Amino acid sequence: MHLTPEEQALGRRNFLRAIAGVPVIAGLGAATLARGPVSGGPVRIGYIGVGGEGRVLLANTDPAYAHIVAMADINPAQLALADAALEKAKLPKAVHYAEWREMIQKESLEGVVIAVPLWAHTEVACGCLEAGLHVLCEKMMAWDVEGCERMRATARKTGKILEIGYQRNYNQVYQAAYEGIVKAGGLGDVFLARLAWHRNGNWRRHGDPPAPTYDPSKWGYPTWEHLLNWRLYKKYSRGLLAELASHQVNVTNWFFGAEPEAVIGTGGIYRFKDGREVDDHVYATFEYPGGRSAVFSTIESNAFERNYEVFYGTKATLLLQGESEAYLFEEGEPGAPASAAARPTGIDVQPKGSGPALSASESRAADAAGRPAVGGATGTGTPAERLSAYRAEVSGFCSAVRVGTPLRCGPDRAIGSAVACITAVDAVAQKARLPIRSSAASAS
Amino acid sequence: MTGPSRWQGVALVVLRTLIGWHFLYEGYYKLALPAWSPAGAPLGAWSAAGYLRASSGPFAPLFHALAGSGAARWIDVAIPIALVVVGLSLVLGLFTTRGCQGAALLLALFYLAAIPLDGVPHPGAEGTYLIVNKTLVELAAVLVVLASGTGAIAGLDLWRQRTVAQRKVNA
Repeated sequence: MHLTPEEQALGRRNFLRAIAGVPVIAGLGAATLARGPVSGGPVRIGYIGVGGEGRVLLANTDPAYAHIVAMADINPAQLALADAALEKAKLPKAVHYAEWREMIQKESLEGVVIAVPLWAHTEVACGCLEAGLHVLCEKMMAWDVEGCERMRATARKTGKILEIGYQRNYNQVYQAAYEGIVKAGGLGDVFLARLAWHRNGNWRRHGDPPAPTYDPSKWGYPTWEHLLNWRLYKKYSRGLLAELASHQVNVTNWFFGAEPEAVIGTGGIYRFKDGREVDDHVYATFEYPGGRSAVFSTIESNAFERNYEVFYGTKATLLLQGESEAYLFEEGEPGAPASAAARPTGIDVQPKGSGPALSASESRAADAAGRPAVGGATGTGTPAERLSAYRAEVSGFCSAVRVGTPLRCGPDRAIGSAVACITAVDAVAQKARLPIRSSAASAS
Repeated sequence: MTGPSRWQGVALVVLRTLIGWHFLYEGYYKLALPAWSPAGAPLGAWSAAGYLRASSGPFAPLFHALAGSGAARWIDVAIPIALVVVGLSLVLGLFTTRGCQGAALLLALFYLAAIPLDGVPHPGAEGTYLIVNKTLVELAAVLVVLASGTGAIAGLDLWRQRTVAQRKVNA
């Protein structure tokens, strides 16, 4: 969302004032009974799928929390890139596998991080859970509702941890916004959330197979193109609703404390008629209980406003932009004169008492341990807050494995946005209003 | 001269038990590492090297040399085991005199490694000390326990002495 420098300064000041002193790590619960340490070293994990997303998680794995024993990927070129990512992150080398089943059979693992194409989430996650491993699975939870429910049921049956990787749940900006503003009633009554993810690109990837004779058909991809651009094919992907909207619907469910009951959708392949099967323009309105709505749009023809979530309340408006910037505007507040240089706002986290707490200053975020992060550019073009959230996500998963700390996005939270977005895919295809079945329906 | 009164005896045994628990848990914790805090933060393996390197006072050069020597890894093993053995001795009241002597020796070493001579607070350490710190106070408390012969008041030393005496009678 475009803001003038004056509006940025005002919104930034308001946000920081509202969240000042809010503990970042809320709800983890300090020990109330005397407990000693839990013996054990870093959690032994394997990575399944080390494409772009898998490598982001790989490079943000804190060696104090996790020891990456092995990694599996059907594409050897991805494994070579993963080696380079490990080296760059100064992490030890890991054993390579093409088949994830062979990896979990041969290696002594405690958990896995899964970042494979969406259609394979259920098979891989359930296979690992059944093998006695804890699972951190990339979003969206699964390709279909039945897959989501099977994953949740398998996690319950095996008693193993299943965390779904919506990194906003670990992002300190979002945690502070929820704890300090939304939960505290700072927005008043919110009837509308605006969710946007606008880009100007065709989402198609280009690249050569790892070898001229490389044949991915035994893994279900008839050609190299199907594997390379799996996001563009309906068999493997749910398109922009799964890859983008599910993040924002997940946040909306969190902030609204509810799941949508129905969705109205429209969209289509309007720009890139290149043989892809998923839409390049998608619009969906999610209807929540209490007359609340979340209006989502994603376009692949203009990146003017990038991605953001806005919550419009009777008292104030909260804007979260690009997973790193946060602004708060009180209703009817007169615009302030320009008073600050335009720069992204982060959150300064310093240890206070038993845990890190937020303080109002315009500096950058800290990592999961409360250590101040290097301010400004990350060298990757990715905001520090986002990388910090990835790091906190993997570390949080390891803490849950080792000492049972609460999950930030376990199956019960993740399934809500998955069911909503899967239903929205159908609504867009039918250009219709469809009811969304409750994710709690099969919870028992 | 008569022995300690009932309440003096109870107080001395309580003091011995508390000191013993302090030693026992310090040793157990070091042996348990690497581990994780209840809040989910990883805790690395324990080493005396950092403590030795941070040594101050007149004996600092000796402790600094130990930190860089081949003995450092033996110290990392010996200290936690010694803490556990001494702790068990004092908690159980078994070989209490030897336990108190061991406790006094360890505390003397810890004190000599970091005698507070500057009288100002230091980051990461609570309180402000000049010459007398809590280590020295605990050493004095151990000497009181040692001098009081608490093994003869309560603890497994009583059972051990009875067993030995019985064997002598039977022999």
